Amino acid sequence: MLEVEALRKSFYGTVAVDDVSFRVESGEILGFLGPNGAGKTTTMRMITGFLEPGSGKVTVDGIDAAARPREARARIGYLPETLALYPEMRVREYVKFRAELCGVPRKATKSRVDDALATCFVDDVAQKPIGNLSKGYRQRVGLAAALVHGPQVLVLDEPTVGLDPRQIVKVRELIRDLRKDHTILLSTHILPEVELVCDRVVIIDRGKIVATGTPETLRQQLTQAPGLAVGLKGEIPEADGILRQLPGVVHASRMGVGGETRVLLEADRGSDLRENVFRECVARGWTVLELSSRQATLEDVFVRLLAARDAVGADKPDDLPAAVEESEPRGEARS
Amino acid sequence: MKALLAILKREFLAYFFSPLAYVVLTAFLFINGYVFYAILLSLNSPETSRQELMALFFKNVFYWIFMMLVSSIVAMRLIAEERKSGSIEALLTAPVGEGTVVTGKFLGGFTFFVFLWLPTVLYPVALSRYGRIDFGPIASGYLGIALFGALFIAAGTFASSLTKNQIIAAIVSFVMILAIFLAGIFRELVTDPNLKEALSYLNLIEHMDDFARGIVDTRRIVYVLSSVVFFLLLSARVLHGNKGK
Repeated sequence: MLEVEALRKSFYGTVAVDDVSFRVESGEILGFLGPNGAGKTTTMRMITGFLEPGSGKVTVDGIDAAARPREARARIGYLPETLALYPEMRVREYVKFRAELCGVPRKATKSRVDDALATCFVDDVAQKPIGNLSKGYRQRVGLAAALVHGPQVLVLDEPTVGLDPRQIVKVRELIRDLRKDHTILLSTHILPEVELVCDRVVIIDRGKIVATGTPETLRQQLTQAPGLAVGLKGEIPEADGILRQLPGVVHASRMGVGGETRVLLEADRGSDLRENVFRECVARGWTVLELSSRQATLEDVFVRLLAARDAVGADKPDDLPAAVEESEPRGEARS
Repeated sequence: MKALLAILKREFLAYFFSPLAYVVLTAFLFINGYVFYAILLSLNSPETSRQELMALFFKNVFYWIFMMLVSSIVAMRLIAEERKSGSIEALLTAPVGEGTVVTGKFLGGFTFFVFLWLPTVLYPVALSRYGRIDFGPIASGYLGIALFGALFIAAGTFASSLTKNQIIAAIVSFVMILAIFLAGIFRELVTDPNLKEALSYLNLIEHMDDFARGIVDTRRIVYVLSSVVFFLLLSARVLHGNKGK
């Protein structure tokens, strides 16, 4: 439905998007995940025609966006990140304006506007000026405006950013509902959102795609084995070095907090470190204040995945284990 | 076409939600009323001919200063405001061309400009109660106002497409309009006869004199309309060029 091939874009010599390719299949929600400044917005702007690609190709529903830009844009509903609506316009007036702008036939305008307002739960504020609405409402007005002309593809740039938790839940529900009629590309820097909403994920960092897959397979590829947090009394600078020697430990990091030492261990797949760690501590005469299992979240791994790209060469392979237990509880990374 | 009208309507209505519009409207009526009154006073002396009153109204120096200033202020927000707020992103990703966007915005600004002049129609109507008025030159005078307003606002639209800052847009647009206006006056300063000839085509004061006297010359109309198209093409070009950035 939406296909992006080898997109590239640079601004004044700085490469923002570098060779990005992916497909969004009909009826799918694809999450476009990456830290701020990774090139998500630039990619979406090229898809929606706000920016011209430096090179590469965007195809919407079989239409080459470069050759037939208006037809391609007519098939896309776009919710920009900097959601700037006209504050003086009333909600209904604005959605109607968008319908007229996007060439909805006059006879269909009223029913389309009504539908869009109802779908996005903004019909109760239809007569209010947009400037008086809360951010959550404005986001949904933007969404109503994006889908009023019945586009096949929705491109949503950080649809939940800046909303309060209750509004976030509402917008996510709304997005999941929209999948019935739309193919959705959604960008976010919030991992749980991807797991909650998306069928497939593309992870992008510094303009390049670093991973693609369903949330489950990504977790399996990327997630570390369960780890262990060890709290010790006193400053023990050598603690992480010693604990790293234990069988089954693949990674250890230490931080000192107010007269305590905290060591985070990552276990090799399937090994239970607890007993060995405890014995080692006792043998060395350390006082154990805490010993707790730590489930590495997709979030941790995401951060480390990106950090691993920073550290050129060194210390990388053990940061990216091949797999993880299937039985891992899925809810862990949710918030 | 529907998209064009939608943009026109939005742009026109947007003026009434900004205090600026009311300030411009009030200042406009105040100055024009004052000028009208001053002309009326001067014509009250028996040696001046009464028929020229509205002609004077259309070609006095205040008229030009005001045309230039008001056009710059009316046009400054057209594109710059949306670039600043970011709403231009939603607008340009709608399935409409840059040309439609620019034309719609220009027409919205132009409609507001025409709206500003509407109350002054009362002046000749009031005058007609006290003497015989030839409405021909008055109509052509208003045609002149509309044409030069269109030219200036098109230049202002272009200036507004260049920046996110409305004040800068207003200044750039004023300077451009002033340059267009002065081009005709430069005629007096050049010696090359061809250039003199060319510049005299640009002499807006002369154009307006004609209109105020009831002479509608199609060359004037062609000059203004082609300039309008030129500026709108430039603006569309700028919007398109920004996509490459």
